[in-house]
Amino acid sequence: MGLDIRIPLGLIFLLIGGLMSIYGFITRHTADIYEKSMGINLNFTWGLLMFLFGAVMYIVGRRQKWQDDPVNPRPWEQGNRPRH
Amino acid sequence: MNLSIIDWLIMLVYFVFVLGIGFALKRYMRTSNDFFLAGRSIPAWVCGLAFISANLGAQEVIGMGASGAKYGIITSHFYWIGAIPAMVFVGIFMMPFYYGSKARSVPEYLRMRFDEKTRAVNAFTFAIMTVLSSGISMYAMALLIQTLGLLHGVIPDAYIFHVSVFLSAIIVLGYIFLGGLTSAIYNEVLQFFLIVAGFAPLVWIGLRNVGGWQGIKRTLPATMTHSWRGMAHASTNTLGVEWVGLAMGLGFVLSFGYWCTDFLVIQRAMAADSEVSARRVPLIAAIPKMFFPFLVILPGLIAVTVTSHMAGAGQGTPAVQNESVILSGAQRAEPKDLHFNAAAPSTAPLPLDEQHPHGIIPEKTNPVTGQPVLDSRGNPVYNYDLAIPVMLLHFFPTGILGLGLTALLASFMSGMAGNVTAFNTVWTYDIYQAYINKRGTDAHYLWMGRMATIGGVALSVAAAYLVTNFNNIMDALQLVFSIVNAPLFATFLLGMFWKRTTGHGAFTGLIAGTGAALLHHGLTLPADATPGIHGGWIAIVHHYPSDMAQNFWTAIFAFTVNLLVTMAVSLATTPRPEAELVGLVYSLTPRPIENHLSWYQKPATLGLVVLAMLIVLNLVFA
Repeated sequence: MGLDIRIPLGLIFLLIGGLMSIYGFITRHTADIYEKSMGINLNFTWGLLMFLFGAVMYIVGRRQKWQDDPVNPRPWEQGNRPRH
Repeated sequence: MNLSIIDWLIMLVYFVFVLGIGFALKRYMRTSNDFFLAGRSIPAWVCGLAFISANLGAQEVIGMGASGAKYGIITSHFYWIGAIPAMVFVGIFMMPFYYGSKARSVPEYLRMRFDEKTRAVNAFTFAIMTVLSSGISMYAMALLIQTLGLLHGVIPDAYIFHVSVFLSAIIVLGYIFLGGLTSAIYNEVLQFFLIVAGFAPLVWIGLRNVGGWQGIKRTLPATMTHSWRGMAHASTNTLGVEWVGLAMGLGFVLSFGYWCTDFLVIQRAMAADSEVSARRVPLIAAIPKMFFPFLVILPGLIAVTVTSHMAGAGQGTPAVQNESVILSGAQRAEPKDLHFNAAAPSTAPLPLDEQHPHGIIPEKTNPVTGQPVLDSRGNPVYNYDLAIPVMLLHFFPTGILGLGLTALLASFMSGMAGNVTAFNTVWTYDIYQAYINKRGTDAHYLWMGRMATIGGVALSVAAAYLVTNFNNIMDALQLVFSIVNAPLFATFLLGMFWKRTTGHGAFTGLIAGTGAALLHHGLTLPADATPGIHGGWIAIVHHYPSDMAQNFWTAIFAFTVNLLVTMAVSLATTPRPEAELVGLVYSLTPRPIENHLSWYQKPATLGLVVLAMLIVLNLVFA
């Protein structure tokens, strides 16, 4: 298929992770938000980890350059082409 | 519940991506092959993650969390015994026939191997079951959104259920209509990672709160923290099943019947880009699958540990479950393990279901009146289905709470979408093309697939409302699923590994097996249940200690009857010529060529690694 799943996967983690870490950074001194999570700023730390995961996925997906594959011919139409 | 803008934003991002993937894939959907089989071009790891994600629907996440809270780590048998061995088997031994035969669906394999009538039985029952399960998923999601008050204040309370049903229906319809199976698979991969990202920090923070696994062990009775203790006899473990019933019923008949024959999961493997990849799909899926108990069962255990540990549960009324399952296990647990209940106002030892800790699990309330639900003895009933949702609300601050809820919604959608893609394929190839319009063009079948998607989603909505309007329908549906699925594996096993099996044999065996399941159910009753939907509606000849035991033995019985009848009828009828069965039967099919693979690339090696990991996990939590 022409679209590598790692690209949307990377993007959604970049976005959600980014949103969470920014929010976590802004609210880092608001202790009452993080009372629930026992004083741990889960937004910032976990958001940052998700952001990193998204970045890795996105970069790997871009490098494979699946998205540049021509739509024609299809994998089953062209015999033994190396798989990605 | 008050969500802030950041939570909504995270959920919005998810929904935009879900539909965006559908739009991005639309241009690749040119033939029915693209739409129904993803063009057989998806890499193994992507299919593998979709393989477990499609199974990780609402019933799975909510149900496993609830069982974790109710029964303990023993619930992991549903993963370790009830999935992994079957996944290894389907990958190593059965996938060459599904993929190699070029069948486009599981019912189509049955037609190639046996005959038209066997296919018809499988196709029709399967199509009906997928629509119903997708409806149940939709119902469960809408009910949860309503119970949590997720949309409270956004739209009037009376409409929340309807809006949730239709919104989820439209989103699932949208992305499958546009991108077919590829879209479903891609979204399932997204859902897989979101579920992990949403639940992993929950487990981490929860474990920190209760003092880790050791803390749980100190707080909960020993029967809840060991997966094999007390399995020698049904009365000494929380499931009410002895190890023979567990290993044969769950581990063999039910799990092989599901993982090896259910087109919902097999379809993901059939989309792989080569036969070797297709064989690797279930094996790759098995690795995260075996660690999923830590993501979905552990939160349940933490939920019942939390306040027991911090506030000293046991004060107040003892918890009583309105369950037919007997939880007699902890009667044998050592008294020191039961300190959480030390304050219970009783001198005589209480039965386990009254000593059971309930932690932060809320009491069940009547959705109409808002009054707490009480059992026959006037004690409150606890809503274990909310174990995971209340964990999210208890530990997650705003922000990451949006992520947790997104993960929950993602799991509901993946379950729904899996059923819808399986339905549209079986409908188009095995019902429409087989019996209604045999000579359509490929473009026509592609169109039909899109229409079937709309039809399937519409029927799911209808099923969701059906579940809403009839109280006992959920039990009835579970019963139908178990009765239809129970005998199936015998048919496939004989079909693939015994060339003498005939179409007449398979058909008669299947019908006889289903009949046997019905008969067994009608003649037995779990303890504490009244005759009716739970069994015993013909006469009661045997009592099982729990409904789970009854379910497992129904499956064992149905499987055995199917196996014997199929063999007997096959021996009495003429088999098909061997030349016609090449590629469909084990003994007549050349072994898959693996010379170009190094030893570590072979599916069998991966299978052995998976089994070794499984044994280690079982030893650790024995």
